[in-house]
Amino acid sequence: MDQKFEGTPKAELSLQGRKVTRSEVTNDWGSQLRWKVARNGKEVATASARVESTFESPEKEAGKYEVVLQMFKYVNYKKDKDGNYTESKFIDISNSVSYTI
Amino acid sequence: MLHIGNEHASVCSGVSRRSFLQVGAAGMAGMSLPAAMEREAAGAVDPSKAKIRNCITLFLVGSPGHLDTFDMKPEAPEDIRGKFKPIQTNVEGIDICEHFPRMARMMDKVALIRSLHHKTGASHENGQRWMMTGHDFNSNDLKPFLGSVISRVYGAKSSLPASMILPGKIGNTGTSTPHGQQSAYLGSAHEPFFLGGDPALTDFKVANLAPPAGQTEFRIDSRRKLLKQIDELQRRAETRTTKQRETAYSRAFNLLTSPETKQAFDLGNEADKLRDRYGRNTFGQSCLMARRLIERGTRFVNVNHFDTVFNISCWDMHADGGSLNNTYKDYEYLLCPQFDQAFTALVEDLETRGMLDDTVICVLSEFGRTPKINGRGGRDHYPSAWTNFLCGGNIKGGQVIGSTDKIGAAPHDNPILPPQVLASIYHAMGIDLETTMMPGPGSRPIRFIDAEPIRELF
Repeated sequence: MDQKFEGTPKAELSLQGRKVTRSEVTNDWGSQLRWKVARNGKEVATASARVESTFESPEKEAGKYEVVLQMFKYVNYKKDKDGNYTESKFIDISNSVSYTI
Repeated sequence: MLHIGNEHASVCSGVSRRSFLQVGAAGMAGMSLPAAMEREAAGAVDPSKAKIRNCITLFLVGSPGHLDTFDMKPEAPEDIRGKFKPIQTNVEGIDICEHFPRMARMMDKVALIRSLHHKTGASHENGQRWMMTGHDFNSNDLKPFLGSVISRVYGAKSSLPASMILPGKIGNTGTSTPHGQQSAYLGSAHEPFFLGGDPALTDFKVANLAPPAGQTEFRIDSRRKLLKQIDELQRRAETRTTKQRETAYSRAFNLLTSPETKQAFDLGNEADKLRDRYGRNTFGQSCLMARRLIERGTRFVNVNHFDTVFNISCWDMHADGGSLNNTYKDYEYLLCPQFDQAFTALVEDLETRGMLDDTVICVLSEFGRTPKINGRGGRDHYPSAWTNFLCGGNIKGGQVIGSTDKIGAAPHDNPILPPQVLASIYHAMGIDLETTMMPGPGSRPIRFIDAEPIRELF
């Protein structure tokens, strides 16, 4: 029996300065929860979001930053020859917030 | 043979929802209750004196690598210490894997046993037999499951079965030898009840326990009356067993018809926030259901985290590129977070309800994983050293019992064998291992575990 997941996880982000706060996750699948940080549209960092509900990226380089909450969506265990999942993946579960440095 | 509706199901290693009704019938054919001694009547066991009233075991099928989880060796060479980093817990000097951040905050409740080992082969089934029964054995000499022993000693305390396994029994884990989730010589009345459904599915309903279509209440009631009469005749015929608790047949009826049963299986009665806290997945919702069952009278619940190791993401981290292709990614993205969430939710939930002192939680697995990472980036089976842990009840948390050597290859001090863990659980539940005998093959009284409890746990 493979694990089944109920519902679709959702959370709400809000921004104060550069500090991002997340709401509790509804329909939480319990897999890895992370902040994804992108600068000028390109992913530059991820950080665990499971324990703390606030996050401030240490990135200082100038640019437009976007932060979104992601959760790992397990579809199956299959991976390619490099060990990357072929179908399971992280998905966005919140709105994104942005700021500029 | 009694049938409720038209279902025909055989009883072998476990009892399904539907076939549960026929467990009693199988016994009825012989018209005899177990001829063994009645423990409670003999005064060997007094449930009121049990230090722990309930037990929940979480069985991590496939087995996490001890070096990647609860016995990390950050000073070891890279091909031994692995990818993950340790984090400090709320107990000074005890570190665990960074991917268990919630558990790290409650280590003061947990007793890690880091020197578990056994020497009888590296198959999953070997380890399952050891940790489910405290024995190694073959198909011709089955030994009873931990939950069956507890059922036999204490009996049921409500209409729910005394011993249950969620969400289903262990299936194919490599060889066709027993897994240890059977009542063996204790008889069908003490078979664990297998839920056989996935509580994470939205269409999982207690309606599955309802009588099959066409089975009216009148017919059920008529059969109940008939069975009551048979029970009466049986009681008169068996003077030594008149103190026996209700038979499997009446238990089956109770299970089918009691409002308590419907309540217990209906996760829809739980707050969404709490269901989220456990994790909306099969394991998390099974842990939540375990709490509901314990709350409503089940004495022992085992939750299997997975029922196989093939073609799924599970703890069996061989990284073989085929059907056993679990890697560090599975641990990091799925398995560790899922376990961390469900386990800590269960502990918190029991504590909030004032049930943690009465319930011991045991996290068990078959073995450890090889200290040296294999050529594909995985770790293989390794029964020479691993870590399991207990909390709740009167378990003294915030401690580590035993240790392994510098590379986690063998116990360094206080080596612990699987039967000692089971003896500890029995001891914690108030069972005197010296005086409480089990009816062995041929009804010969036998001691049911050849080990002493781990004293440091209490």
